[in-house]
Amino acid sequence: MLQNVDIDIHHLTRVEGHGNIVVNVTDGTIETCEWQVPENPRFFEAMVRGRHYSEVARITSRICGICAVGHTLASVTATEAALGIEVTPQTRTLRTILKHAENFDSHVLHVYILVAPDLFGAQSVFPLIPTHGEVVVRALKLKRLGHEWGSLIGGRTTHPVTVVPGGFTSLPSAADLVALRERLLDAVPDLEATVETILSVADQLPAFDRPTEYMAVKEDGQYGLFTGSVETILADGDRARYDIEDYRSITNEFMLPQSTAKHTKNRLRSYAAGALARVNVNYDQLHPEAKKVAEALGLTPVCTNPYMNSVAQVVECVHSVYESVRLIDELLAEGIVEEGLVQPTRFGSGVSAVEVPRGILYHDYSYDENGLCTRANCIIPTNQNHGNIQADFEELVPQLLESGASEDDMALKLSMLVRAYDPCISCSTHYLDVTFVR
Amino acid sequence: MRYLIGIGTYMGLDDSIGLRIAEEIAARGLDRGFRAIELPGNLLDLLHYFGPDTADMLVIDSARMGLAPGEYRFFSPDDVVTRKSLDGISTHEGDLMKVFEFARELGVAVPPVTLMGIEPAEIAPEMGLSAVLEARFDEYLAAAAGFFGTA
Repeated sequence: MLQNVDIDIHHLTRVEGHGNIVVNVTDGTIETCEWQVPENPRFFEAMVRGRHYSEVARITSRICGICAVGHTLASVTATEAALGIEVTPQTRTLRTILKHAENFDSHVLHVYILVAPDLFGAQSVFPLIPTHGEVVVRALKLKRLGHEWGSLIGGRTTHPVTVVPGGFTSLPSAADLVALRERLLDAVPDLEATVETILSVADQLPAFDRPTEYMAVKEDGQYGLFTGSVETILADGDRARYDIEDYRSITNEFMLPQSTAKHTKNRLRSYAAGALARVNVNYDQLHPEAKKVAEALGLTPVCTNPYMNSVAQVVECVHSVYESVRLIDELLAEGIVEEGLVQPTRFGSGVSAVEVPRGILYHDYSYDENGLCTRANCIIPTNQNHGNIQADFEELVPQLLESGASEDDMALKLSMLVRAYDPCISCSTHYLDVTFVR
Repeated sequence: MRYLIGIGTYMGLDDSIGLRIAEEIAARGLDRGFRAIELPGNLLDLLHYFGPDTADMLVIDSARMGLAPGEYRFFSPDDVVTRKSLDGISTHEGDLMKVFEFARELGVAVPPVTLMGIEPAEIAPEMGLSAVLEARFDEYLAAAAGFFGTA
């Protein structure tokens, strides 16, 4: 067993945003074992104050370039709740298809580009091009499908423009939906190949189980994505259901000195949100084809291995494709109908809970009689997972020490653990830094 | 199809210049004969616009080029080498040059790409633009639209 360990991963790579892993062991005693998030608050809740309800989703969409659809849907859904707007079944179905598109797009990105290098023993996706070129090409093909799937419904995938309070500003044609349906079914062989790829490297996923609480949106009769209620499940199968309006007492936000990001807790000291939580809570509502994949990949509820979150994302990709095909068939059978926007019936407060790729996203707004926002609160899923990552660290580090793991192996396992949660901490910079050579 | 693609992050002060130009081009209806797209977050999404139906592409981003703050320059990706040191390719740890390298290594056909680099005055975790870039914003719009002949 190592007596002295000094792991200081400053800005972990292949996660979205900035987080640090710090572990110090001296003479066999663990002195520091922390998941740190050193990023700045961004004050979007303040930015939307004074804005008209028609503008708010346009602003909150900019919180994230990956989950722009989720922030848009969470925003319009909370605004509609505040304004007494009941959208049509067609709007709801189209939004569900759009939500599936975003989850699919993000999951493909995470599993293939951010997680797969660890499973193949590579530093990044670049070294995989010569050795596993077909896997990388497949990843981009699937990712492109997700992008165009979302663009068809949302006008564009990043910061969708057609989704507004009360409905859609433009609708896909029946022909567009038929074409999308074909493309989704054409992707099935690539999804099957994805399952084979994951199976081929499944032994690289660490065997680490730590029972916790899993939180997800619950909708009657279908896999929860938005509206309905919130449900949590413990490792022993014990369930608790909550109204979305009670989100503050479910999340119980608090601060820790090691992090500038808020943490959350509910029945235990922390809980998990995201694909694994959704599968644990909503397993029975998965599409049968997705259930087959879950069985093939060894994912059964209640799964308590956080590394399996990436596997749950693959299962959700399959679910999203088949569910969207089913929903498109429903729309085509009913016929796409041009509908006006449903108008407000009151001005008050409203809350939404939407399942974005990394877990539940809560938005909460109040509006005055002129439709101007007077108060906003957003709780993002990554913050809900920080406490659980920390609790995992505290159990995993002693286990790794006991097992005689090397410092490099410990660093890799801890990095993989954080990546498994697919944290999206916030946006960092992308500017170019170049020298002219001609 | 011709594309104007703005790159950056709204939370990076002058790193948002590409996004803001793409937004404003669309808002003013200057996007005639081309599509203006803001691409924050995941740079890999740029690959979705590499296809046989893409005639050419202008990608706008803040760029440390050694020019005076606010100066801009059009150039080809082949004209420069990156000074950034990255472990690989990720979503929020991005570099445009890495995306081009990634595409080339994969054998993806890269359409004719021109970069419009704008030297930032300040990159910081803030919304907005520095006063230097704000003062020249209309000039950038005219230059970008002029690339497509619609200024």
